[in-house]
Amino acid sequence: MSEVLKQPAIIGSSGQEAKAGRSVLISYLPAILALGGSVLLVLLRIRVGGEHFVSDGALMMLALASYLTAAVFHLTNLYAPTSWAQKLGLWCTTLGVFFNLSSWGVRWVAAHDREFQTYLSQGRLAEMPWAFRYIPFANLYDLSLAFAFGAGITTLLIAHRKNFRFLGAISLPLAALILLLARFIGGEFIELPAVLDSYWRPIHVGIASLSYGVALVCFAVAVIYLLKDGVKVEAFAIWSSIFAIAVIATISKFSVFSPSTFGTYTASTFIGDARSPIGLRANLPYVGWALVVSGVLLLATIITFIKYLWQKDEAARKWGRRLLKLSLVAQACAILLFVSQVKSAAAIKPCAETGGASAACIDERQYEKFAVWVHQQQKEAPEQIAMLSSEQLRAEGEEMVRRNAPLLKLSPKANPVELSALITAFAGTLFVTLFGFRTEKLREHLPPAEKLDSLVYKLAGVAFAGLALLLMTGAVWANESWGRYWGWDSKETGAFVAWLTYGAFLHSRIARGWHGRKSAYFAVVAFLLVIFTYLGVSYLLPGLHSYA
Amino acid sequence: MSAAEETKGKVGVKPTWQASLAGAISSGVTSLLNLLSSVRFGVSLLVLLVIASMIGMLIMQQSVEGFDKYYAELTPSQQFLYGRLGWFDIYHVWYFNALLLVLSLNIVLASIDRFPKAWTFISRKKLDAGAAWLKGQEQSAELKLEGESRQSLAERISAACQSVGLKKTKITEKGARTFVFAEMNAWNRLGAYAVHVALLMIFLGGFLTSHFGRTGMMWLLPGVTESTMTETEFDLDQSKPVTLQLPFEVTCTDIQQKLVKRDGPITAGNTTDWLTRIRIKDESGEHDALVHMNAPYDYRGYRFFQASFAPAGMARTVTVRLTPEKGGEPLDVTIPRDGSATLPDGTVIALADFWADVSVRDDKNVDTSDYNNPAAILNVKPPQGQADRAFAFPPGMAENAPIAKRPVGGYTYRLVDFEKVPYMHALSIQHDPGSTVVYIGFGLLALTLVAVFFFSHQRVWALIEEKAGGAYEVVLGGNTNRNRLAFEGRFKRLINNISGKPQEVEES
Repeated sequence: MSEVLKQPAIIGSSGQEAKAGRSVLISYLPAILALGGSVLLVLLRIRVGGEHFVSDGALMMLALASYLTAAVFHLTNLYAPTSWAQKLGLWCTTLGVFFNLSSWGVRWVAAHDREFQTYLSQGRLAEMPWAFRYIPFANLYDLSLAFAFGAGITTLLIAHRKNFRFLGAISLPLAALILLLARFIGGEFIELPAVLDSYWRPIHVGIASLSYGVALVCFAVAVIYLLKDGVKVEAFAIWSSIFAIAVIATISKFSVFSPSTFGTYTASTFIGDARSPIGLRANLPYVGWALVVSGVLLLATIITFIKYLWQKDEAARKWGRRLLKLSLVAQACAILLFVSQVKSAAAIKPCAETGGASAACIDERQYEKFAVWVHQQQKEAPEQIAMLSSEQLRAEGEEMVRRNAPLLKLSPKANPVELSALITAFAGTLFVTLFGFRTEKLREHLPPAEKLDSLVYKLAGVAFAGLALLLMTGAVWANESWGRYWGWDSKETGAFVAWLTYGAFLHSRIARGWHGRKSAYFAVVAFLLVIFTYLGVSYLLPGLHSYA
Repeated sequence: MSAAEETKGKVGVKPTWQASLAGAISSGVTSLLNLLSSVRFGVSLLVLLVIASMIGMLIMQQSVEGFDKYYAELTPSQQFLYGRLGWFDIYHVWYFNALLLVLSLNIVLASIDRFPKAWTFISRKKLDAGAAWLKGQEQSAELKLEGESRQSLAERISAACQSVGLKKTKITEKGARTFVFAEMNAWNRLGAYAVHVALLMIFLGGFLTSHFGRTGMMWLLPGVTESTMTETEFDLDQSKPVTLQLPFEVTCTDIQQKLVKRDGPITAGNTTDWLTRIRIKDESGEHDALVHMNAPYDYRGYRFFQASFAPAGMARTVTVRLTPEKGGEPLDVTIPRDGSATLPDGTVIALADFWADVSVRDDKNVDTSDYNNPAAILNVKPPQGQADRAFAFPPGMAENAPIAKRPVGGYTYRLVDFEKVPYMHALSIQHDPGSTVVYIGFGLLALTLVAVFFFSHQRVWALIEEKAGGAYEVVLGGNTNRNRLAFEGRFKRLINNISGKPQEVEES
């Protein structure tokens, strides 16, 4: 991928490593095995057929499990360096990348098989489009699968330097989070719009997933650099808590903290087994309050840690750590409550009927909005809808809710990004808590700061070049398919903004006085912008790329 | 500058107000130039550009579909404030353009400032170095070596450098000291400038596109000729079409839609391709062309793209089964859209119209993409006699309706097959003198980025001095402009190579 990944090195080489590093090939064995293995598995899938073969969804879950296991081994190795933990970590990473890529490949074959049946039954096999039409780069699920692979393979390639194997401790949980998000989104196939059936799609999206993966690993190294460089864990805790509070405040349409709906959490509902949710949100009891408690604890953590950093008040530090742990528990409770409610909810009734009991229910304030949504779905003109009175709408909405109550369901698909954001916030708090544990020992075990800094720069360079290629291939594709190479579409702009930030990072190093830590902050912000481009744009902003 | 020198020269003389003004201007210009050419200022501009772009992402832009609804939902104060700040069309507002212009200027000036220094890496290579300087480099080592002469030792070191990839070597002697200089990829120092040339090229292309580029739509119905395209201009929640004259005429000869499921609807999800066949006519004659999805057609600097379709169901061809009134074998006839077929007995059957859904008839604005109740309307002209209208429904539909049973020209008609096609297609026509420049910029950028980030200028110096007793002291030092980790590995291999120790790492 880059020179740093290709060049053999003997940094910090011990006698043992000299033996292991006899051949460059051996140091890349995990990556080669993972890639080769998945190619073989996919070939086997083509030969055996789909009926008696492991599904892409199952492979994805295996990848998820492998990444998490590998992360646990890597973390163990960071705190208590042992060669077995390091080796197991490496091989679990390899397994994860293997499953990850296999899942993607098997999905390609499955998508082909699906349409093959359609053409076969019509006797029009000769008219069947080429295999690239079925390449799994069609929606956010596919992209997430590839993104996680990009992060996994980058981690694995960097792991050829023994000193950097620990990276998996941070990058793999992030990759696992992305797979988890994919799991929530759901892997149903979509009917691919013809305009996307261009050979630029695999080029453009392939580059996207690999460069996003590199950006993720770059972020992980930047965070580790900051830790090594002596940024206090308390400062990390403040940032992760701000992130978590921002998540809690924005999910469920800002309902958790806004005064009129304080302490309520609502989730979109589905009718029957429909693929997309309807414009009706159900209250999930307790989840909102658990989130409020988490938010208050996080806020208290921020205040006490600021007091500690400001006044070097050791008591505040102690209290802050306690509060942080409590907020971790509260966040875990909120997520568990959410998951258990979503699993158990069936036939969601109006809240008036359930009497505010422990089941999910529809608040009467939802009726009017729901009725408006239904009218909009029927493509009625806004002026026409505006003519209906609130009472009318409310009555209509209530009637529809009561009629459909037996069919109303909840699903993690309702808002995969919300749920993933909650879990990411939890993971952030968890990691900060972990870092707080024997921090000095942890710092000792990390490679020297200059090496980490050098790796951040290298990865940012690759990410910058990757994003530039992403923007260019996207522009060429757009120009060849739509006749416009740049339209300031939100996804384009998002990628452009992330690219500029990496550009700023690279230049910040040649500008006087901006070194190490300041540059690392640019790398962190740039990755957040990448994530915003990848998710935020699809879910929050309108535009061309809203499909993925 | 000359004014500044002048004032400097007149020491002790009270400067005139003109001179001090000129001095102030000149120092102002200097500090402005310094600011404009500083990298720090460039980074600040990038941050500003990021902020402006983020605003454009978070606030819906007026050209995005659904803007009118978004605009209506804003409070009057938001409408006023955002409108005044130009945030509804931020990418075209004057200060955004100014930002890009200043950034371009910054790139140019910073490059001019820095290029001469980078050029010295190529034009005036540093061939020798003192021991203290070498020891202060990123990588350094001191070796005590045996050898026949300084010259042979220098050659050995030079060969070792070449064996680890530092191909360009130079040996110089200065008195009692011999220097070996080895390097690789010196050109890499210039890569960054090439990247910026590529970027400026892309900016220039973008400027050409935004000022001279035009994109319009052309709706085409088979058989119809058009010579204009329609551009949409936006002004907040209002949009108005602007008609542009083309230097040629476009006649649609055929449209076609390839479906995944032939019995499915003509929706985007069930389609693999839309094809539009056109005939372009101008002073140079007639040119037939095919435009389809992801396959534009170029003509005289104009590009035709398959852009859209009207989802009202039509038929590209229909196959009608004719049953003779007087008995006998039924006869299948295929008729193209707007075309006709002649029977052996001389009867001419023309396809007058096609209804995808009889219940909504021929309202072309209605979505009849699912062909619920199709019917072909035929114009039947027997060899002798009047032309008459006949209706062909699919078998099993309206079997007993008088309109379906009534023989016309000696036959009754059934619609046995038809190829689905939309009512009309839209082509998007682009005339863009900037895109070629942008493409060249892209190519250059891709190449130069790879050249910059995947290679590095690595240099090593060795200073050889003779010590008492036939031994030589060698001080080595080296640095790189990028990729320190790889350089560290290379330097270690070099030292191993020179000192003759077994190699720890083999290169593939």
